[in-house]
Formats: sequence, structure tokens, C-alpha cells
Amino acid sequence: MHERYLIEASNLSRRFGKSRIFRGISFSVESGECFFITGPNGSGKSTLVQIIAGLQKPSEGKLAIKLNGKEILESLWSHIGFASPAMNLYERLTVYENASFAFRGKDKSLINHYISLFGLGKHKDKEARILSSGLRQRLRLITAMINSPGIVLLDEPGSNLDVEGKDVLFREIEKIKKESLVIIASNDPEELKLCHKGIDLAKQNS
Amino acid sequence: MFLYRLVYILMPIGIFLSLLWVPPANILGDASRILYFHVPVAWVSFLAFIIAGIHSIVLLIKKSDIPYREAMAYNSAAIGMVFTVLTVITGSIWAKVSWGHFWNWDPRETSIVILMLIYIAYFSLFSALKSNPNRWGISSVYLIISMIIAPFLIFIVPRVYPSLHPDTIINQDKKIHLEASMRITLFFLVVTFTLLYGYIYKITNKLSLIIIKLRSSHDI
Amino acid sequence: MIRRSLNFVIRGLILQNRIVKLLKKDFYIEFRSRASINISLAFAGITTLSVSLTSATMNLPFRVHSILIWVIIFFSAMNSLSHIFIREEEEGTSIFLSIHSEAEEIYIAKLLFNFILFIVITVVVTPLYLFFMQIWPENFIFFASSVFCGSTALSSITTTLGAIVAKTSMRSSLFTVISFPLTIPVLWISINLTASSLEGGSVDLLNLLFLLAFSGVIVSFSYLLFKFIWMEQ
Repeated sequence: MHERYLIEASNLSRRFGKSRIFRGISFSVESGECFFITGPNGSGKSTLVQIIAGLQKPSEGKLAIKLNGKEILESLWSHIGFASPAMNLYERLTVYENASFAFRGKDKSLINHYISLFGLGKHKDKEARILSSGLRQRLRLITAMINSPGIVLLDEPGSNLDVEGKDVLFREIEKIKKESLVIIASNDPEELKLCHKGIDLAKQNS
Repeated sequence: MFLYRLVYILMPIGIFLSLLWVPPANILGDASRILYFHVPVAWVSFLAFIIAGIHSIVLLIKKSDIPYREAMAYNSAAIGMVFTVLTVITGSIWAKVSWGHFWNWDPRETSIVILMLIYIAYFSLFSALKSNPNRWGISSVYLIISMIIAPFLIFIVPRVYPSLHPDTIINQDKKIHLEASMRITLFFLVVTFTLLYGYIYKITNKLSLIIIKLRSSHDI
Repeated sequence: MIRRSLNFVIRGLILQNRIVKLLKKDFYIEFRSRASINISLAFAGITTLSVSLTSATMNLPFRVHSILIWVIIFFSAMNSLSHIFIREEEEGTSIFLSIHSEAEEIYIAKLLFNFILFIVITVVVTPLYLFFMQIWPENFIFFASSVFCGSTALSSITTTLGAIVAKTSMRSSLFTVISFPLTIPVLWISINLTASSLEGGSVDLLNLLFLLAFSGVIVSFSYLLFKFIWMEQ
């Protein structure tokens, strides 16, 4: 992948009605970097990740996402992979169907590849509603990474995962962060160790 | 603003013209004077709706000054709602006098009720979206969609189906059935009520602006 | 010039492909849960039977038949039509959907789904009603066209309104309030057309085309405006 992404945030703040979640957030990340967002509960980690993904808009400030130097003006869906506890998958679709829904490429064998990679091979034809929370999290991660996107946004990626799941997760992140832009929002020190730079929302808000 | 303040002079003149100066109509007599209030308020209720719709369109295109533009659309709709209720009331009185019943489900009467329901729906939607940061987008889309449908309801449907209403009152061609003095009075009151709408609208917008500024300074 | 038109066609095909994917997804889910279609059809069946039972000996005028048909169709479908968006919000899948599809694709897929659902309900309700009430339209083609055009108009307006209502907190009751003023004119015209077809009147092409034109206008504007409903801009 030879596409260089750059995310520049300047003075972002987000308000819901009267309460302000965070303010004055500025950072810059580019492809090949892994950036962490940490902070206590309620500091706005998930909100910030959703703003970067384009699911919410900042109340103030500017967020620019550039591809090879030019700002991306249309919707971001073809550039990002996103996984968050707030994102539920289709309960009535099987694991394979959910992954296939997220998959945008032409080579369908990749779907099976990712399903086995994350250890869901046995559950491929089971509806998502009967999966445990750990397996659902693995399915979320599959949908985030299946297209090898240029920007990967992970909100608490290790939540509910067992040791084996976390192993796979960390290995995949190590692999993709060489070329993609990875952002991880988490409180887990193991996950934060994967990134070499980041922000702490607690410090920003004070 | 001065232009709108003219309403203080024009309205008394208008009331004098309609109640005292203009001669009573042939068959209905003095009761026909309600016409000079019914038509202007009906006109304003549609005008307010159109203005609210235009603000919504501008809001979606420009995406700037969001709280203020949202408030302007809302204010226009609020005034429009009041005038729609007045239209229904004056229309019912007119209907009772002319045709013997307060309500007939005549197509034009139906159209005004539909307009009123659209306003009510808009306000319900607005309050249901209270905590939603995208309230401005969603309520604007609703207003624009209703604005697109409204011409069908108001101009096309009443003309397709036979109506008890006198010929095409809410359009420019008033020449056919009215005498000169009636025409003058009617036109005069239409202009006066339009100015009244503008006046109230300006005041409510100023108030909204103050509230918005207070809120944003409170936040910091 | 050729490259541009080729590009356009390719983009159209890809768009179509993605819309088909979204449509398939909705059909799988609906087929497996059967929640809304079951309720709609049950409602339609019960209402038709009740009407037939209570008015068995009466000779109802055609206009009344027309009103009853449309009331049954409308209220049977109401539940399902808003469901398609409300379900995404209630089950928390709207984020997953937004991340993987563009707003316009989502709109077209939902519109087509609603349209098909509406037609299915109509195809079940109408023969059932005609059978139980022992009536037959004098001009069947006109009758079928009136029901089809009315369904098109109603499904197009309720798709957009369903999307709007899904974003609020008061969904079901609010849907009734906001859809009523905009669907009443359509219902009114559809009822008149259906009554006319039952009586054997001549084909009212003007009003049929009006309903189709109405649908076209609503769909075009909704297509342009949908992204403002779906996502904060």
C-alpha cells in the first residue's frame, strides 16, 4: 500500500447540550504510526474516535484527513476500518454474512482467511446473536481489518478477549501498523504499549 | 425595522377600511367583512411556512450560524402556526355565515388543516430531537419535504376537486368577483398583515439571537 | 468523453452491486426474524375478517369499500414501514451500517425494501378483502393500477419519515404524528381512484400519473437530503 494518510486535529472540542466532553484536542498522525487515546471513563475516548471516523462532528475545531496530501472531502467509508463496543453487528446474520457485508474487495477467500485468523472458523455459519461477547468482539475486529484499510480505528479492541484473542489482535496490529495509520482508544496498558505516541484526555481537559 | 413599524399606522387604517369604509357585500351583508381578515391571515400562514422552508434550505447549504438559522426557521413556523389557527377560526365563521356549517371538509379547508398538522408535526419532531446534535439537519429536512408536498395540497388538489370556496382567492387574480373598493381593502390588509408577520418575526429573531449569545457565553 | 461515460456506468454498476448487498442483508434479517411482516399480515387478516363478519348482510357503497381497503392496507403497513430504520437504531447496528455504506446507498436499499414490503402486504390484503366482501372491480386493470400507484406514493413518503423518526427518542407515536399530514392527500387520491375503479369508471390517468409523479418528487428530494438525516454534517 503506497497511500499516505495524515490526520490533523486542531483544537477539537465536543459538547452535548450543556455538558462539554472535551476541549482543545490537537494532534497529528500519519501512516505507519500507531496513536493511542487514553483517559478515565467519560473523558471522551470513544467520542473522539467516532469524530475521527466521521460518525460525529466536533462542536469546535477542525479535523482534516488527508490522503497523499489532499484532504478527503467525501465520506470516509472506503478508507477506514472501525471497531467499537458501541458498534453492534447484525444479530440475525451469520459470522460469514456479517464479515461479507463489511468486505469490499473482490477475492472472497479473504473473508474465510480473516475468519480463521481470528479463530471463528468453527462458528462461521452461526448467527451473531448466539455468540459470546468475546467472539463478538473478534467478529468486530474482523470487520475492521478485513479490507486492509488505510486508517484503522479501534476503540477498546481487547475488551472481552481471552489470551488467545489478544494474541491474534496484537499480532495483527503489529503487522498493519507498519503501513496503515492505527488509532487505539483504550485504558489497557498492554494495548497502549503497541503505540509510540498518543494523548491522555484527562490531562487535556484539566 | 422602520418599515415593519409602519404596521402601527397601517393596521388601524386597515381595520377602519374593512369594518367601516368598504360597502357590505351583496348577499352576505356585513358578515362578508370577515373576508378581509381571513384572506390575509391565510396568506401569512403560507408565507411563514415558505420562509421557514427557505431558512432550512439555506441552513443545509451553508451549514454556518446553525443555532441562529435553526431558530429563525422555528420562529417562522411558530408564527405560521398561530396564523393557521386564525385562518381556521375566521374560515369557520365565514363558512357558518355563507354555507350554514362551521366545517364542511371542503378541499381548501382540508388543505389548511393539513398545513396545521404539518406545523404540529414539525414542533413535535423538534421537541423529540431535543438532545440530538443533528436536530437542525433532521428538522430542516422535514420542513423541506413538507414544503415540497405543500404545493400539491394547497394549489393542485383544491383545483382538481370541486370546491365550495369562491374562485381562486389565494392567487393574484382577484379581479373577477370583487368591486374596486373591496379589492383595495383586501390588498391593503394583505400587505398590512404581511408587515405584521415581518415585525413579529424580527422581534422573535432578535430574542433568539440574544438567547443564543447568552448560552454560548455561559459555556465558556 | 467515452472514458467519462464508461466511468459513470462502472460507478453505477458498483452502486447497484452495493445496493443489492444492502437489500439482501435486510431481506435475510426480515426473513429470519419475521417480526414485522407477521404482525402486518396478522393485522390485515384480522381486520378484513372483522369487517367482513360485521358487514356481511349490508350492501356497502363502493366508496366505503375503497376506504376500508386503504385503511386496512395503510395501518397494516404502518408498523413495518418505520420498522426498517427504527430497528437499526434500536439494535445499535446503525454505526456498522454507516461505516460500511454511503448514505445514498442506504436510502435506496431501504426504499426498495419498503416498496417491496408494501406491495407484498397489498397483494395479500386486496384479494383477501375482495374475496371476503364478495366484490369485484368493474375495471380490474384500473383497480390494480390505483392500488399500485398509491402503494408507490405511500412507501416513498414513509421511508423518509421512518428515517427521520428513527433518530428521535419517541419513535412509534411520533411516526403517526408526522406521517399523517403528508400521507393524507395520497390516501385521499388513492381512495378516490380505487372507488372509481370499483364502480367501473373510466381510467383516471391524470390522478394515477399524479401519484407516480409525487413518488418521483419525494424520492428525488429524499435522495438528496437523506445524508442530512442519517449523519451529522
